[in-house]
Amino acid sequence: MNVIEAENLSKTFRVKRKEKGLQGSLKAIFHPQTEAVHAVDRISFTVEEGEMLAFIGPNGAGKSTTIKMLTGILYPDDGAVKVLGIDPSKKRKQLAYQIGTVFGQKEQLWTHLTPYDNFRFFGAIYDLPDAEAEARIRELSEIFELDAFINTPVRSLSLGQRIRCELAASLIHKPRVLFLDEPTIGLDPVVKENIRSLIKQMNKELHTTIFLTSHDVGDIEKLCKRIVIVNNGKIVLDDSMTHLKYHYLNKKIVELKLHEEAVLPQLAGITVLKQNGGHVKLEVDTGIMKINDALRHIDAENMVDINISNIPLENIIMEIYKAEGSSLKRGPLDGNHLKKEGL
Amino acid sequence: MSTAVKNELRVCMLSVKYNIMREMLNKVTFLTNILFMALNNATFIVQWVILFSLREDIGGYALRDVMLLWGLAASTFGLAHILFARAFSLPDLIINGKLDAYLVLPKNVLLSVLTSQTSVSAIGDLLYGLVILCVFSLSIGRFFLFVLFTVTGAVIYTAFALLMGSLSFWFVRAEMFAGHMTSSMVSFATYPDGIFKGAVKFLLYLVIPVGMAIYQPVHIMMDFNAGRLLAVLGYTLLLSAAAVFVFYRGLRRYSSSNLMEARG
Repeated sequence: MNVIEAENLSKTFRVKRKEKGLQGSLKAIFHPQTEAVHAVDRISFTVEEGEMLAFIGPNGAGKSTTIKMLTGILYPDDGAVKVLGIDPSKKRKQLAYQIGTVFGQKEQLWTHLTPYDNFRFFGAIYDLPDAEAEARIRELSEIFELDAFINTPVRSLSLGQRIRCELAASLIHKPRVLFLDEPTIGLDPVVKENIRSLIKQMNKELHTTIFLTSHDVGDIEKLCKRIVIVNNGKIVLDDSMTHLKYHYLNKKIVELKLHEEAVLPQLAGITVLKQNGGHVKLEVDTGIMKINDALRHIDAENMVDINISNIPLENIIMEIYKAEGSSLKRGPLDGNHLKKEGL
Repeated sequence: MSTAVKNELRVCMLSVKYNIMREMLNKVTFLTNILFMALNNATFIVQWVILFSLREDIGGYALRDVMLLWGLAASTFGLAHILFARAFSLPDLIINGKLDAYLVLPKNVLLSVLTSQTSVSAIGDLLYGLVILCVFSLSIGRFFLFVLFTVTGAVIYTAFALLMGSLSFWFVRAEMFAGHMTSSMVSFATYPDGIFKGAVKFLLYLVIPVGMAIYQPVHIMMDFNAGRLLAVLGYTLLLSAAAVFVFYRGLRRYSSSNLMEARG
């Protein structure tokens, strides 16, 4: 069952334009000029119940605008959207009872209150009877291990503890869809991992649909099975994480440490990225040449150490951001778009 | 009262309560803010006592009437800023995209926004207004009217701020205009309406709603008139409805931003 259905969703903002300097400012008073910016341009997608979806893109790609239209914050200019069968722009309040939002960079809690008082406030917002709110707080406190600081004012909590409280507060009403915007931003690796496993647990036990936006590849890789990439207001890729990796990871990075400098073979499928004395970095296109065959061209006696790695997902995503969107959407991904920069 | 309305009011009251609790974190600042606002208002009594020592009548008002006017203006301003302080900084929320936090919650956006901030010094204004009433012209009937007009005045004042603030949905830099308009309402509210003539009087009843928020209520308290009372109540409802309508029309143009602050 689809919990989110977006069809030709569009949003255009009119942005003021002015020429530089004071003269430009004066001119803009009498002849204001605006330009239409298509923040979201006819995007269509669906999300199934219980799915964990990464909705990512570079800054200004249109992902926040899309989420805001899905949650009823913004009215679409065109197209149709249904979340849990509800049109967010028409029945925002009704929808809000069934969705949750967590914005990693933005506090939703009252900082002078304790997490417990905050949860009671959110319980009141979602019309939970006192007994039900209490039971839910106990349950969430157990899942998120909040007991140690549930009666400490939020302003005195560490960032990791605060994010756990933000997550718990957004779940007080058992939302069916949870929108997470950079939930692990600014957290240390241990806390990040902790938050990710909590999100996974939530998805598994409560079957909550997760709609995640993040610039942290770790979040995307460890949580989501499907990835939607937006750029310039359009969906440039909508694919499963496995499929994405399979098609893009046909290039390997081979780092070699040699006894002495060697002349490297000039063969199709092997690109020398860097050579500094005995230290060599190669890129092998396994679509053209197998790793095994590539290594045969290097004198094994001269080899001190070897490291073979995949191209980081971060680089793959960066490359997709740069690529022309339409040719990538649901099309075969041959990985040839990958460039050497940053490898 | 329906459960939905009860729940809305419960959340609004909780919001105001938590706002006041936040301000009470520093007890000294909390109390001095209230006390000094009341004292600040009290300094104007001296000014009016001096003026009335020179003339017996200013714009048809005696000293007692001017004090009543001041008291009502202060309590009206106070109540509006205790309950609905955010109405007066609405352009900031609109321009900087800070309405998002209220739009994702299953409650009335407008009520949630209005009650999301409290001005502590406004408690001083409200108390000052009540003290002035008690000192200068207390009677049981006048007390009840004073309380009623404090409520209608606060609603009119908030609705006017909401109307002016909502202009920011349409116009860039409308916040300065909105600020001037709402502060002019306070300025005019502290002078007897008898000193204003012609176009200015027209302005004070039809453009800046100080006439129905303060002047008419003071006249009713001085000389009760049921027709005028109904007119004030009707005007309060009409202006509120207009402000709510304009706010929601504007909300459709809201363009958000990447900021989100709910309780700042």
